[in-house]
Parts: sequence; C-alpha cells; structure tokens
Amino acid sequence: MDIWDPPHYVAARVQRAIAEDERTNELGIKVDIRGDHLFLHGQVCEEDQRERVAEVAAEAAPGLVVHNEVICVAVGEPGEEELL
Amino acid sequence: MTIRVAAVGDIHLSEHARGTYRARLNGIEERADVLLVAGDLTRHGTVEEGQVIADEFRGLAIPVVFVLGNHDYHSDAEQEIMAMLRATGHFVLDDSAEVLLGGRLGVAGGKGFGGGFAGKCANEFGEPETKAFVRHTREIADRWRIALKGLDTQHRIVLSHYAPVKDTLAGEPPEIYPFLGSYLLAEAADAAGADLIIHGHAHAGTEKGATPGGIRVRNVALPVLGRSYATYGL
Ligand SMILES: [Fe+2]
Ligand SMILES: [Fe+2]
Repeated sequence: MDIWDPPHYVAARVQRAIAEDERTNELGIKVDIRGDHLFLHGQVCEEDQRERVAEVAAEAAPGLVVHNEVICVAVGEPGEEELL
Repeated sequence: MTIRVAAVGDIHLSEHARGTYRARLNGIEERADVLLVAGDLTRHGTVEEGQVIADEFRGLAIPVVFVLGNHDYHSDAEQEIMAMLRATGHFVLDDSAEVLLGGRLGVAGGKGFGGGFAGKCANEFGEPETKAFVRHTREIADRWRIALKGLDTQHRIVLSHYAPVKDTLAGEPPEIYPFLGSYLLAEAADAAGADLIIHGHAHAGTEKGATPGGIRVRNVALPVLGRSYATYGL
C-alpha cells in the first residue's frame, strides 16, 4: 500500500535534510511544496552550495520537481564607516 | 582618537574556499585598526576547515579577534580550531576578554547561546534537557559579566555569535528566535557596560539594533552585510 505523505511533513523532512546533511549543513533554507513542485528559498554564501542544496532536496523528496530559488549572497566592497 | 573596528561573521568557509577568501581583506589595515570575526567561521567545524581559516587570516597587519559559532562546534573539534587560530597569532575569545591597541580597546565575549528574549523565553524548569539548555546560556552570561568588569580600557566591545536582542533578528521567523539568541547576553552587557555588541548567526536578520540599556548592537552576518565587512568608528 502506498502511504501518502502530507506535503507539510515532506517539506519539514527536506528542510531537516538540508540542515543535517554533511554536504550542505545549511540552516536557513525555506522549503515550500505546491502540488508536485518543491520551491527552495533563502541565501547561501557559495555558488556550489546553491547546487548542493538542490541536490539534497531532490534526494529527500523524490518525485517532486525542485525549483531552486536560493540566491548566492553578493559580497560587495567594505563601504562607508559608521561613526557610533 | 577614533578606533576603527572592522567586523564580519558567518563567513562559513569550507575546504572549497581555500585561497579564495583572503582577497576580501586586502587593504583592511587602511580602513580599520582591528578586525572582529563573529563566529560560524566554518561550514562543518572540521580541523581541515579550521586550517583554512587560520591560513586565510594569517599575517594580517591588524589584530584579529575571533569567536566560534555553532557550525564550528559541529565536529567536536572546537578546542583544536581555537588552538590553531591562537597558534597563527590571532585572539580567540571563549567567554574571556583581551586588551588590544595598547590598552585602548577591550573585547569580551564568546560563542553565546540561545533561549529567547524576555517574556518569551525558556526557563530553568522541568526536564533536565530544558534546564541544561537555559543553564548553558546563563553561565555564559555570568562569565561575560566578569570578563567585561575586568576590562579597564577606554572602549569595550562584546563579541558574540548568538544575538543579544531581537532588533537585529528582524527578517527571521519569530518561531526560531529562541535558537538565535538570548536576552541574558544583553543583560550582562548592560550590567557591566560596553560601547558596542557585535554578533552574527541570524543570516536573514538586520544589521542595526540596541539593547534595553542603550548599547548599540550590530549583526554582521555576511548575508546581512552583503559586503566584505562593516566598519564602525568608536
Ligand atoms: Fe551562520
Ligand atoms: Fe550560527
């Protein structure tokens, strides 16, 4: 018998996998499931981390279409000093 | 004379980042007198990643003060990482204080921990696991109070990984605030007195806030700053 997993638990499982998997250990990623689509949101510091997050998500939720909307933080010049 | 403090946190360097980070610090000695790094130096807290940190910050022309973050504790190698950073000539705060710049600046602090904010926080009550969680933060705050009181410097800064106030968490889901910081850290700083509190950890938070006692708080997590480091003049 096929057991249907409510999307709520699938999303929680994916988020936990992204936080706990050694390849990612990324804590701030939001996971949103709509129908057969899984959306990833948040920020990471390295471009290849963005890809690893999607890879771990796809493994934790087979059968869903992963949309990787995670962005890689752009790091600019130090900028102005704030005088306190 | 103004002291210029550069600060950044949550750089999360993995072994892939070896050799790539240092360029962001080029010329920092022109802009700042000291660099404070607010924890989550590494991704997994391994000794190999600790070596990447030690190498990328090696031989800067200004003193560097580190605290570790939760990621740096993940592989149970935090003591080794601290020892490696110290061996490279850096300062590491572990609920302790250091005096820099010829006695003009004192920096106290450490990793910090969570528990939540006044009125909406965990208490030392009930199961041993709950009590241990809250006790860890309370003991840290007690050590910071002592470390700060021992600083007889013109300026005093608290360097933490976890947040001392809610202001700088704006942007994070309120449900996770108890895992992002504790008001006990701010209370210690307000009791002992400080010019500024620097923290990281809240990647989706906001840069600027203040404690109930009026000490300025700055969240310098790299994703919050969007720049190599912030610079504050004291
Ligand atoms: Fe972090
Ligand atoms: Fe953190």
